[in-house]
Amino acid sequence: MKLHEFVVRRLLLLIPVIVGVVIFTFSVAHLIPADPAATQCGDKCGIIIDYTDDGEPITAYQANRERLGMNEGVDVQFKKYVTRLFEGDWGESETYNRPVLDVVKDAAPITLEMSFFALMIAYPVGITLGILSAVRQDKMFDHVMRFFGIAFVSLPIFWFAMMLQLYFATGSAMGGVCDPIFGTDGGCFPVYGRHDTGFTYPEDGFVWFFPEGGTGFHLVDSWFVSDAKLSTIPDEWNTRWLLFKDTLLHLALPCIALGVSSAGSLLRYMRASLLEVLHEDYVRTARAKGLAESRVILVHACRNALVPIVTILGFSIGGAIGGAVLTETIFAFNGMGRVAVTSITSIDYTVIMGVTLVTSIIFLLSNLIVDITYAIIDPRVRLE
Amino acid sequence: MSDELLLEITNLKKWFPIKEGLLSQTRRYVRAVDGVSLNVTRGETLGIVGESGCGKTTLGRVLMGLIPITSGSVRYSGEDIRKIPNKEIRRKMQIVFQDPGGSMNPRMSVRSIVGEPLLVNGISDGVDLTHKVEELLDSVGLKREHMTRFPHEFSGGQKQRIALARALSLNPEFILLDEPTSALDVSVQAQVLNLLQSIQRSMNLTFVFISHDLAVVRHISDRVAVMYLGKIVELADADEIYRNPRHAYTKVLISAIPKPDPSAKRDSILVEGDVPSPIDPPPGCAFGHRLQHPEWEKSVDMDLSLREVSPGHWVQPCPCCTKDLSDQVIEELDPIQSKGSSETPE
Amino acid sequence: MRSWDDGKGDRKESLRRLRQALSQSRSDLWRGWKVYRRSLLAVAGLIMVIFVTTISIFADEIAVEHPYRNLQDTEDEWVIDWEPRMKEPRSEECDWHEQKIITNTRSKFFLEEVVAESHNKVGEDNRYYKDTLSVIRIIKIEDSKGYDLNSSLLYIDPANSSILILTPELYNNSTLNLGVWVTYEFNNEAMHHSWLPDGYDVCIFGTTDTGQDLFSKVLYGSRVSLKIGFTVATLTVTIGTIVGSISGYYGGRVDEVIMRFCDIFFAVPGLILAMAFVAALGSVMSLTIPVWFGVLVPILFLVTVTQSYLLSTVLDGDRISDRTMNIVMQYRGPLLSLLCFFFFVGLLPAPAWPEFFGISESLGWRLGAALGIIVVIGAITLADRKFIQNWDFEGASERLADSFDWTNPLRYLSIRTLAIFVAIVVLFRFSNGSGDEIVLIKDFDRLWKIQAALIITGWPGYARLIRGQVLYVKEMNFVEAARSVGAPPGRIMFRHILPNAWAPLLVAFTLDIGGTILSASGLSFIGLGANPGTAEWGILVSESRDDFLYHPHLMLYPGLAIAATVLGFNLLGDGIRDVADPKNRR
Repeated sequence: MKLHEFVVRRLLLLIPVIVGVVIFTFSVAHLIPADPAATQCGDKCGIIIDYTDDGEPITAYQANRERLGMNEGVDVQFKKYVTRLFEGDWGESETYNRPVLDVVKDAAPITLEMSFFALMIAYPVGITLGILSAVRQDKMFDHVMRFFGIAFVSLPIFWFAMMLQLYFATGSAMGGVCDPIFGTDGGCFPVYGRHDTGFTYPEDGFVWFFPEGGTGFHLVDSWFVSDAKLSTIPDEWNTRWLLFKDTLLHLALPCIALGVSSAGSLLRYMRASLLEVLHEDYVRTARAKGLAESRVILVHACRNALVPIVTILGFSIGGAIGGAVLTETIFAFNGMGRVAVTSITSIDYTVIMGVTLVTSIIFLLSNLIVDITYAIIDPRVRLE
Repeated sequence: MSDELLLEITNLKKWFPIKEGLLSQTRRYVRAVDGVSLNVTRGETLGIVGESGCGKTTLGRVLMGLIPITSGSVRYSGEDIRKIPNKEIRRKMQIVFQDPGGSMNPRMSVRSIVGEPLLVNGISDGVDLTHKVEELLDSVGLKREHMTRFPHEFSGGQKQRIALARALSLNPEFILLDEPTSALDVSVQAQVLNLLQSIQRSMNLTFVFISHDLAVVRHISDRVAVMYLGKIVELADADEIYRNPRHAYTKVLISAIPKPDPSAKRDSILVEGDVPSPIDPPPGCAFGHRLQHPEWEKSVDMDLSLREVSPGHWVQPCPCCTKDLSDQVIEELDPIQSKGSSETPE
Repeated sequence: MRSWDDGKGDRKESLRRLRQALSQSRSDLWRGWKVYRRSLLAVAGLIMVIFVTTISIFADEIAVEHPYRNLQDTEDEWVIDWEPRMKEPRSEECDWHEQKIITNTRSKFFLEEVVAESHNKVGEDNRYYKDTLSVIRIIKIEDSKGYDLNSSLLYIDPANSSILILTPELYNNSTLNLGVWVTYEFNNEAMHHSWLPDGYDVCIFGTTDTGQDLFSKVLYGSRVSLKIGFTVATLTVTIGTIVGSISGYYGGRVDEVIMRFCDIFFAVPGLILAMAFVAALGSVMSLTIPVWFGVLVPILFLVTVTQSYLLSTVLDGDRISDRTMNIVMQYRGPLLSLLCFFFFVGLLPAPAWPEFFGISESLGWRLGAALGIIVVIGAITLADRKFIQNWDFEGASERLADSFDWTNPLRYLSIRTLAIFVAIVVLFRFSNGSGDEIVLIKDFDRLWKIQAALIITGWPGYARLIRGQVLYVKEMNFVEAARSVGAPPGRIMFRHILPNAWAPLLVAFTLDIGGTILSASGLSFIGLGANPGTAEWGILVSESRDDFLYHPHLMLYPGLAIAATVLGFNLLGDGIRDVADPKNRR
């Protein structure tokens, strides 16, 4: 199969899955037993707000049901839901008082940014340690690394994040190991939020950073976008470098917390994969040729050992997006995870549907990219 | 040996579809078995030889009814095997696989392996089964104590004996031996072959013996069929085919048999090129195509079905591989065309 | 009719085979253990798992505080508070007790003695009782508004350290009508445990913000976590195995549909999917299934187990060349299902089920009817192969009698017997509900909800794993060999494919227990899991979030407990992987 055929085939296969996810999110949202019409009006449901043409009273509750389209059949509701999805009208969030699409649009880049940097930390660490571990197979270092590989996977992300906050974000007075250099709370790294509160200002109950004209990726925006409203921030703070550094530092702890389990599993996979490759004939040949051991391992073995590692990337991305739910809750990032938690605890089901849909599309697309990359690196994959 | 026909294979074809393209449509086929006609008489041993990938194993599977037939027919004592109840086929036809280790469930004891056919066909169980298995183990030259052991505790030759015992358990009339000795040492091969022959004699069995080893086939077979790329190119008595091979491919194969005398002159014929893929095989004579024979094109439009050249000796006529024969055929068929083609200057 | 003595040989043979199988599995285990113990980490993991399991079993004995100290407490929810609050581990204040002394009534009767007593506790007979404490020293006395009073107003009886003597100033003082609060250090020898050094008795891990002993909560938390881990892992593995083996074995369109369905589950990140399901299960208060469904499922299960067997032995084997019969053969699958359906639903019409089972509202009747059906099906299933083989009405009854080979009870040791037994147990266990519903889980609380959510999200992974395994084993030669001797699909699946495919399953099962504990505590942490106040590790960590910077012990120990338990299971799974790896055989 040619590469372009493979790509088109994978894209085609994606369609039924996305349709399935849409049906799935819709049905889950409709399985949720709470009555959103009743939730919206609370204790004012009985109040008569209008009369029909026949003079029948309409209560607030009935009006809500009408507005939310709950009086129609499920199939009609589903059809409406799908057409609206395509029109870009994903409904109105009750908790955020904003269109769902806007909420998701603001939240998604934060999660993506965090997941990206988490994997940027996890991959080099995991792969390097995996290589070292495989090279020193059955030595003390290897045993220690194997232990850490499993231990990293076993850490509860939320607990590890809090431990990081405790030890790297506080000074010695509070039990941490950091002396106050920068950041707040006297620690090395900021504990909380996407930005220092000095740089943010709330709007409509949602903490905003760059309300207009940004890409949504805060790290990018902090450097490139200048907004009129930012001039409200005191001058001595309003330099790009300070803003950028602040944005970057706030990412440090969440990314470590999120990346550690990926690093652990990568370590183990890389070790196994490299050990397998090291027993191959071509590695023996390379050694027999008299190549330096470092060259044998780095050039001949690692290159091939890394190929299957690409597939792990898909799992890592899923793990990172799922784990974001926890880290975002702890570090108060307004990303997808936090939006998901908020919407589910307050049963805001337009947002639940939107968030589930968007996370799964992000996940599917990143997996698609991983698959295509794999097919480019290893043409055998295309044959299946 | 009687003259009763046990198996009649007529124009048997087995094509495997290849799924490809965006929507997994079937555009091409692997023609593993592509028009084979054969007869097997009761009590004989028919050897099928050919290089790997020529479709001999598939042929065996198809005539056992293990995989469905694409077209053509297989008749077992005059009855189409697709119409015979599965249970009866299984009782009459058995198979011994190439890889004795792989054909046994590593988690089952020898008693369960050998007794499984009896158990699943409801013939015996319990203590009766144990006795029957003991007898079967005796008949293939294994000890009764081996019954409680597991396959991995046996050597290759012993495993093949177990496989044979399993095949014999239902008292079949016919056994397909799919390269039963190729995974064994030469010394063990001989033992197994002798065992096969003695069992065949004592139980009046019919064998189809598939192998790529011509020496082994010659030792055991009454008749030999040579297969190339899903087709039979030559079929004759074992001695006849080794003494007087007519098809070029058969000649090549026979010349490749190692001679026991190291001082003998090596006269093996070397063939250039690779075995063509059974996916979209070349039209006409496949071996001629491989040899890039100048007269290959003539074979494209020819009827390549087997011809009897001498009693019991059937050969595929073709201008490149069996020159003398094919000329005769062409003349018989259409003298004008043959004249025309031979006179046309290039 | 066979007599008991006729079966002697068979019985002996069965026993011999049973003994052989036992010794075989024993030697397999021993060989596995020899590989397993090579790895120090794996052994450490096993020890950790055994340790955690032991602790959760003996939590009642080990824990200092118990969830049922108060009557309103349940296993999950701890309401009572233990003074002092939020104390560091081993803080000396852990041995302090605060007791309220009402003074105005005492003055009336000139009572000047007060017995130092613990809070209310619940005894074996479910009654309240109080322990008498022996006081070492008095730390402070406060009035009802919290102002310190002179500590000489009260002293310990020199004769009996459990008695506090009030001075006349105290009980004559009308400003102290509302009572005083005495804090004293008591000798809690009674709470000592043999395995704990002196003084480490009450707050080993410190106390929580409501004053409960964290150590006890962590101990009880192990019960919740292990329960969730095992339940979820077992059920996901079961469902995944069933679906995956169907998908792998039958292939084709069935496989396609199942795998596309799984893809949808894989498309949504696990934790978010689980959250959505927890929310969707929000108001389900108890898990019930209709009676007819509960009875039908085990029966249909049995039918499907036997169906392949019947099909291949009776119908498939004797294809009759008659044309009409051929047509019947062609549609035998749907026809047989239809037959089963009419037998179970049509014969005993669906609307009549409640009446059928509701005869005199008695449990016995319902069970009797259900058991009857099961016995009939079971009899058919258990009947000897020889009977089913010979499909002839002549002499059928004799053969039927013969076929129940009662002379060899060991013959009934089969999967099918087990299935019937499980069905009976399930019916007994769950048919105590009234009306036409069987209550599976009476109190479908939030813990059950996360378990349900994790099961729903977890099974596709196993289905995929098992499918791959089945596809892999299916291609092996011995499966073809079994097919070539005429083994029915059921036998091929259960006897040939699954026994050779279970190794990765066991590894995944062990690893999944750890993974489930992680996800469940994660869900609890974000507030979707267990109820607040529960002794659950995720909840404990989440409750400490407000001021963990000042009281890190609140989060440290429950978190360590999660990490250690999950690590134990992961190490165990890794060790089993080494054992299952064919490279390490022998």
